[in-house]
Amino acid sequence: MSNKSKTKSSDVVAYSEVAMRNNSAVVEYCRTSMAALSGCTAGMLGFTGLYGAAFYIFAVTGLWGMLLLKAGSNWQEYFVSRKALLTNGFFGQLFTYVLCWTFIYGMVHVY
Amino acid sequence: MSDLLVDSQIRGWVFLPIVVITFLVGIVRHYISILLASQKKIELQQLQDSQVILRSRLLRENSRFIPRSSFLMRRHFFNNEENGYLTQKRPPVTQNMMTDPTMMTDMLKGNVTNVLPMIIIGGWINWMFSGFITTRVPFPLTLRFKPMLQRGIELMHLDASWVSSASWYFLNVFGLRSIYALVLGENNGADQARQMQDQMSGAAMAMPPDPKVAFKAEWEALEIIDHQWGLQEVENQIVYPLNSC
Repeated sequence: MSNKSKTKSSDVVAYSEVAMRNNSAVVEYCRTSMAALSGCTAGMLGFTGLYGAAFYIFAVTGLWGMLLLKAGSNWQEYFVSRKALLTNGFFGQLFTYVLCWTFIYGMVHVY
Repeated sequence: MSDLLVDSQIRGWVFLPIVVITFLVGIVRHYISILLASQKKIELQQLQDSQVILRSRLLRENSRFIPRSSFLMRRHFFNNEENGYLTQKRPPVTQNMMTDPTMMTDMLKGNVTNVLPMIIIGGWINWMFSGFITTRVPFPLTLRFKPMLQRGIELMHLDASWVSSASWYFLNVFGLRSIYALVLGENNGADQARQMQDQMSGAAMAMPPDPKVAFKAEWEALEIIDHQWGLQEVENQIVYPLNSC
C-alpha cells in the first residue's frame, strides 16, 4: 500500500489507475486472510449462531480500523472512500469465513 | 449440544481428507492450466482495433486534463465523418469458431482443466466417502437447506445443520476459491505479474468479435462527451505559493 494513488489539487482529483488497482488487490488479500483467520478463531472458540455472525462483523470492522490506522490521517491518498473500504466484499468473504468456521468447529467441537 | 454422537474416526478419515483433497486438486488444476496454456494468436487488425478503442476510452476518461482544442483534435481523429477511425467502413469479419482448429483446442483444454476434474473427483468422492455425516454447521438452518447440505443421506428427522460428506465436498469447492486467490497469487510472482499485465491490457486482449459494434458504441460515447477544462486554477495553485516564499 505504498503507492500514492491520487494527487490532489483543490477540487480536481486525478487517480492513478494502476495504483488504485494494486491497492484494492492488496486490500482484497488482507480481507481473505482476515476471513480465514477469524473463521478459524471463531471455530476454535466454539461460537454458534449469532455469536459467530457478530464475531464476523467485529473482524471486518477491526480490519477496517487497522487499515485506516495504517493509512494514517491522509487515508485519502490510498483509498477513494472509507465506506467502500468497509463494505466491499463483505458478503464475498462471508463464505470463506463460514467455511473456516464450520471446518474448525467440526474439528474441535463436534467429535 | 451434540445430540448425535459422531465417531471420531470420521474426522481423520473423511472430514479432513475431503478438505485436503479439494484444496490440492485445485492447486494441481491451476498448474495444469498453466502448462496447457497456449499463446493466443492475435491478428494485427484486431489488435489495432482494440488498442484504438482503448485510446478513445482513455481520451474520454481524462479529457479534462487536456485543453479544449487538443480534445477536439483527438475526437476529430476518431469521429470525423470522412475518414475517422471509428466511422470507417469495414467488411464484416466472419470468424467461424468451429472451423478454426486453435479455437477447438482451446475449448478442449478448458474442458480438460475445468469440467473433467470436477466430474472425476466429485464422482470419486461421492463413491469413496458416501453416506457419512461429517460435521454440523455452527448455526441453525431451516429445513430448506436439507437437500443442499445432506446430499446422499435421506433422513427425515435429522436436524438440518448436519452436513453430509458429499455436500461438504461441494461446500469446499465453492468456499476455497478466495483461498486459492490468496495462495496462488502469493506463491508465483511471475504469474501475478502476468495477470497484472493482462488486466492492464485487458481491453486489448479481449478482442471484440465484431469491431463494428464496438466502434459504434465508442463513437456514440465519444460524441456525447462534453469537454470541461479541469485545470482552470492550476497556474494560481502552482505559481503563487512559489512567489510567496
